[in-house]
Amino acid sequence: MILLRHGRMIRRRAFQIVPVIILATFVVFGLLQLVPGDIAVTLAGENATDARIQQIRQSYGLDRPFLVQYGTWLWNAVHLDLSRSYLSNEPVLGQILHRFPTSLLIVGGALSLSLLIGIPLGVLAATKSGSKLDTAVTSFASLGVALPNFWLAMILVATFALSWNWFPATGSVALAKDPAKALLHAALPAIALAAGGVAEVARQLRSALIEILSSQYVRTLHAKGLSPMAILWKHGLKNVSVTLLTVIGLLVNRLLGATVVVEAVFAIPGMGSLIVHAAIHKDFPVVQGVVLSMVVIVISLNLLIDLLYTLLDPRVGLK
Amino acid sequence: MQSPFELDRRAFLAMLAAAAPVGSAYAQGTPRKGGILKVSAASNPSSLDPTTGGAGSDHIFLYTMFDTLVAFDYATLQPIPGLAESWTYDDPLTLTLNIRPGVVFHDGTPCDAAAVKENLDRNRFDERSNVKPDLSTVADVAVTGPLQLVLKLKQPDTALPLILSDRAGMMSSPTAFKALGRGHDRAPVGAGPWKFVSWADNERVIVTRHDRYWRAGMPFLDGVEFQVIPEVNTGLRSVIAGQNDFVYFLSPQQKQIIDRAKNLTAVTGPTLYCVQFYINTARGPMGDVRVRQALNHAVDREEFNRATMNGLSEPATLTLPSAHWAFDKQMAQAYPYDPDKARKLLAEAGFKDGLDIQALGYTDQRHVQRQEVLIEQYRKVGIRLKFTNGTIPEMTNAFFVEKKGDIYLSAWTGRPDPSLTYQLMFGAGSFYNASRTEAVPEIGPALLETRRSQDLAGRQKAFAALQKIITENALVVPLVFQFEMDAHGQKVKGYKPNLLGKPKFENVWLEG
Amino acid sequence: MVFLIALFALALTAPVVAPFAPTTQNVNNTLAEPSLQHLLGTDDLGRDVFSRLIHGAPTTLYASFLAVCVACVLGIPVGLLAGFLGGWVDDAISRVIDTLLSFPAIVLAIGVTGALGIGLTNGMISVGIVFSPQLARLVRAQTLVVKQELYVDAARCFGASLWRIILRHIMPNAIQPVIVQITLLLAVALLAEASLSFLGLGVQPPQPSWGAMLARAYNYMEIAPEQMYAPGLAIMFTALAFNTLGEALRVALDPTAKRR
Repeated sequence: MILLRHGRMIRRRAFQIVPVIILATFVVFGLLQLVPGDIAVTLAGENATDARIQQIRQSYGLDRPFLVQYGTWLWNAVHLDLSRSYLSNEPVLGQILHRFPTSLLIVGGALSLSLLIGIPLGVLAATKSGSKLDTAVTSFASLGVALPNFWLAMILVATFALSWNWFPATGSVALAKDPAKALLHAALPAIALAAGGVAEVARQLRSALIEILSSQYVRTLHAKGLSPMAILWKHGLKNVSVTLLTVIGLLVNRLLGATVVVEAVFAIPGMGSLIVHAAIHKDFPVVQGVVLSMVVIVISLNLLIDLLYTLLDPRVGLK
Repeated sequence: MQSPFELDRRAFLAMLAAAAPVGSAYAQGTPRKGGILKVSAASNPSSLDPTTGGAGSDHIFLYTMFDTLVAFDYATLQPIPGLAESWTYDDPLTLTLNIRPGVVFHDGTPCDAAAVKENLDRNRFDERSNVKPDLSTVADVAVTGPLQLVLKLKQPDTALPLILSDRAGMMSSPTAFKALGRGHDRAPVGAGPWKFVSWADNERVIVTRHDRYWRAGMPFLDGVEFQVIPEVNTGLRSVIAGQNDFVYFLSPQQKQIIDRAKNLTAVTGPTLYCVQFYINTARGPMGDVRVRQALNHAVDREEFNRATMNGLSEPATLTLPSAHWAFDKQMAQAYPYDPDKARKLLAEAGFKDGLDIQALGYTDQRHVQRQEVLIEQYRKVGIRLKFTNGTIPEMTNAFFVEKKGDIYLSAWTGRPDPSLTYQLMFGAGSFYNASRTEAVPEIGPALLETRRSQDLAGRQKAFAALQKIITENALVVPLVFQFEMDAHGQKVKGYKPNLLGKPKFENVWLEG
Repeated sequence: MVFLIALFALALTAPVVAPFAPTTQNVNNTLAEPSLQHLLGTDDLGRDVFSRLIHGAPTTLYASFLAVCVACVLGIPVGLLAGFLGGWVDDAISRVIDTLLSFPAIVLAIGVTGALGIGLTNGMISVGIVFSPQLARLVRAQTLVVKQELYVDAARCFGASLWRIILRHIMPNAIQPVIVQITLLLAVALLAEASLSFLGLGVQPPQPSWGAMLARAYNYMEIAPEQMYAPGLAIMFTALAFNTLGEALRVALDPTAKRR
């Protein structure tokens, strides 16, 4: 019965994200059409004739009306064809899939680090609210949120890679090829990314826990003689997991953005360097493809989180 | 016919005779076969087809996969035999090429006279060819024997042999480019020492040994793996950390870093690569020769060299470096640093209160640094430079096609034959001449003369006359000749820089 | 707060306060250690780092404010309309806002900057566009709350025009959390400016900005790693100051927050 209800709900939610994704494609496609200048002229390169430029315009469909271009692109995108790069003429989807694992490793590592360090810090700060430890965690969290992560990345490179040679300064290795080396390469970028995440997780978790711990309900439990730790484990963390899920959703969105700049510092061939290169060179099919795939990731994750909410807190599902 | 080792020794002796390269270890023991050279590449290739590509930085990839009809001496850039084992001018309008026997492309197609003709015709006529201007003097190509071709010329052109040492002379397999069409850009088939394996955009290009390469026992390396790292600092970091073996196109400023890292060898040598301002003489004040002369007098090239090149490059006064055979000493003194004179010239031209100049440039930090030095130098004489920056293709297009910007801070990467350099930059209708017209009518005849003379002395005189016209009219602001600066790990042996400044790995080997 | 006031003062008086012009070069004294003459040393062209830092302040602040202004201009009216009109307008706008919020902001900003053309102003307009849905959502939520209040109903009964109601009644009452959010956004915009300039999509030479200083320092990391400390710290403390101010405002303006 419960499964059935959830099944229906999953289907309904999944159905709801379709228009959101279509809207997202429209936004991406539309914004990039604002470009001044004629991309075909640039693409034609040095020594190009007018006929060659016209030919390029035709071969990329740049001479057709906006809505036709958009429609064609969307239709192909639905069939998993994100068209081809202006610069390399390679399929965009192939480039994205090729680079995605690299970024995933870094973002995944950063997310794990954020949770592994952020949760204990948040819990500690909340249970010892007002103590020196709490102050330390709170100030650390404020600093972490304000810290430019590419700057931290630079400091990490200068210290751990260039001065001490503990970690490689640049590049990446595929996880499937050599797991140990891959992790070694991903370590510094993941740490640089995680700083903001740790701060965010600790901060949110702390305030959520303090709210719960100061509630009437918990106070009653306390009066009944349960130890603070037991209360925390049995009631606090379960209730706080909704907050945690929300933070994870936000965090993934932010980490996907931040990895762009951090990848530049480490010269990592991931999604970030792909979009920066494409944006500078006005290679719009690639920009559109990368942004779209990131949006799809975020939206799917949000869907998953929504579903988890219902599992954790049945009241949400009944609404 | 020379064995590779004789070529080595020749090049070696020539190097010693030329400007002494700094810090390169030449006593390097016996070459050994095997190993893969990992190279940090400065940019993604525009195409791996020599005919359709356009970027000067493609050559480093292309040289591994394509042999040229004519090769060049590393130190002097004089033509030497390549896939053509000899050539002769029967008369000023007829050039005969004799192709080396036994050469095969990577796909097994023989590289004979017919294949060479197909290549040259494709270079001349294919709609996607980027080397049409290089071969504009060729009227007809005829196959006169299995290994012999005759090139009929429209006008005398002694520059052709060296032109055939560049893109136009890189031979692709006709079977491959006919079958693949556009796809040959990304799956090239040549007759060079290594054959193409894969190309992941902005990431990696991999080539592996061509087992039927014509030079016996060559190449030494089993393969070359290029990792694309556009930021040269990061590229150097990857070599210091041992992830790569070789990095090129470094900035001379990085010498300090290489010297500090004990496991690296720095290689430097003079090149034709000239950092310069292109001028669009068709735009307003730029049409005034006094303004252009002021631009030349206002820049302190010594300071520019010190600030942006760590003092390790050659301040440029002409479009050719002092090591070049066609360099003219007299004209080199034309524009000493003289801010007062620059101010005076500007005032005479009617810009007593200074002049605003729209400049185009690139966004990367190395170029931004150059811009900052120049903005400050020009500010002192009342010239206010305002830069608009973008990528190389975007800005090249903006300046040379859309005619935006008065001047363009870029570089001339050099051509094997200097007549091509001058033709392309100052000739009427040429792409790299933004005004598209000859700034003064004397240029055309002077250009022709440089291609007509047969012997070196005659050509030197012709170039001196041409340089005089260009310098007196201040048609360009040369700044410095950037020295080639490469770094490699200790196990890399046998590498030598060349005057063209584009690394070739044909003689490199790795120590065990 | 004191830090911010000092920063603004510094930004306004940069030409007077800074010991050197930010572009004065001395190629014989590059990458120098801090000294009495050059408090934070000199950079790769022998320019005074301290002066460049001070001159970078107005650029950086201008960029942050520009982005946030763009976000306000786009976000606030849309949020007000959606919240006030309700119905299908609200549905449609909310859907768009939700969609836009699932874009990683900096990635979208990079894409839009590439499209508009490289430069500080274009970059920050892009950042502003990307931030606007955050404000729109907040304003919408506030408007929904205020709309229920009695005095709005009263005004509506008196036949006040739509814009009059929005401007006179809803705006002033919904504005407090918006101000808090704007302050917090300033910090995010600051970090975005630094990121874009670091990637070469932002400020162009010879204008100094903290992000661009970091980009240059990155090139000299092996020789002079100390070059990257000052601009990085400046970015961090300014962002921290905006965040702290935002939090302080939140507490001051929201009576329920005082509990904590």
